[in-house]
Amino acid sequence: MHEVPLSKLDLRQLPVFEPDPALWSRIAQTHLRRRRWRQYGMAAAATVLIGVGAALLPRPSTGPEAPRWAEAQHESQVLEAEWRRLADGGRPTTVGLTRLRSIDGALQAAYDRGADADEIAPLWQQRNAALRDLIVRFQDASANDAALVTRI
Amino acid sequence: MADGNPRHVTEIRAPSGFGLELDRVTLERARRGDMGAFGAIYERFGGACYNLALRVLGEPAAAEDIVQEVFLKLMASLRGFRGDAPFGAWLKRMTANATIDTLRAHQRFREDDPETLFESMPSQAADAEDRADAWSLLMRLPPRARAVVVLHQVEGYTHKEMAELFGQSESYSKSILARALKRLNDAVATTPESKEAVGDA
Repeated sequence: MHEVPLSKLDLRQLPVFEPDPALWSRIAQTHLRRRRWRQYGMAAAATVLIGVGAALLPRPSTGPEAPRWAEAQHESQVLEAEWRRLADGGRPTTVGLTRLRSIDGALQAAYDRGADADEIAPLWQQRNAALRDLIVRFQDASANDAALVTRI
Repeated sequence: MADGNPRHVTEIRAPSGFGLELDRVTLERARRGDMGAFGAIYERFGGACYNLALRVLGEPAAAEDIVQEVFLKLMASLRGFRGDAPFGAWLKRMTANATIDTLRAHQRFREDDPETLFESMPSQAADAEDRADAWSLLMRLPPRARAVVVLHQVEGYTHKEMAELFGQSESYSKSILARALKRLNDAVATTPESKEAVGDA
């Protein structure tokens, strides 16, 4: 029997089609939307965890014998735990750390020389403000990463 | 053609778009979630994903859905890509799996018996132009048979690999492939050009 020419059904002749040029844009937008929602979810979960953690951690005594900075020190522990959690999961950064180290140094020096509550309590409050700033920086950086779409 | 051997269907050995390589820098950037790197991966492999899905499903919108599904999954799971296999092969498998899942979801996959699979195939009474066109001939196969032909003949999957993809035995895909290729070759053999060739012989 005569062979039918191979080219009659050469699958290399299958046409090659291009997808809709807007397809990648749609995919990228969907991806970023999902990632943003995941981050919102994580941020909400972190907020809940901070609240629960603050409620469950042993409360410092607030009696007359407790130092005046005890509340601020307790809050500082919670904030530092949250900041370390974010720092462990994200990209390393040194932004804002200088201020925190400076406050830690001042606190240590105050304790070493036996400073009174009027000097120590504000330093704990400054430390908490610095930690809050670090946490916000991390969250902003994550949000910026999510919003970054490279046009091709 | 009396022996039914699929002599007229040429198997592709050259790599398809999935055979392209992906440089390490782009891969590492993508692993870190860089959208520019994901875009570069799409530029390189998006067309291959689209054409695989389109050849099996036959519908552009359905093929675009597959591409979207595959790339969203890729962007979520690329950190888990260990690099044991070439990136293109990994992506091709994801695309093949997603396409087969779509066939299943659309109830186009009900016929497990290769004999009954071809019962729904239209008669050979297509016009001569259609019969001579590889795309039109492919589209006239039942979707599952089309998947077997495309994955084996175009994308280079072995029957063992297809057995895993389809969740069937190797003999199952062999049987479907043999029937599909015979149908295709029968259709080619009935074109006016081929009859002329027989007359000239």
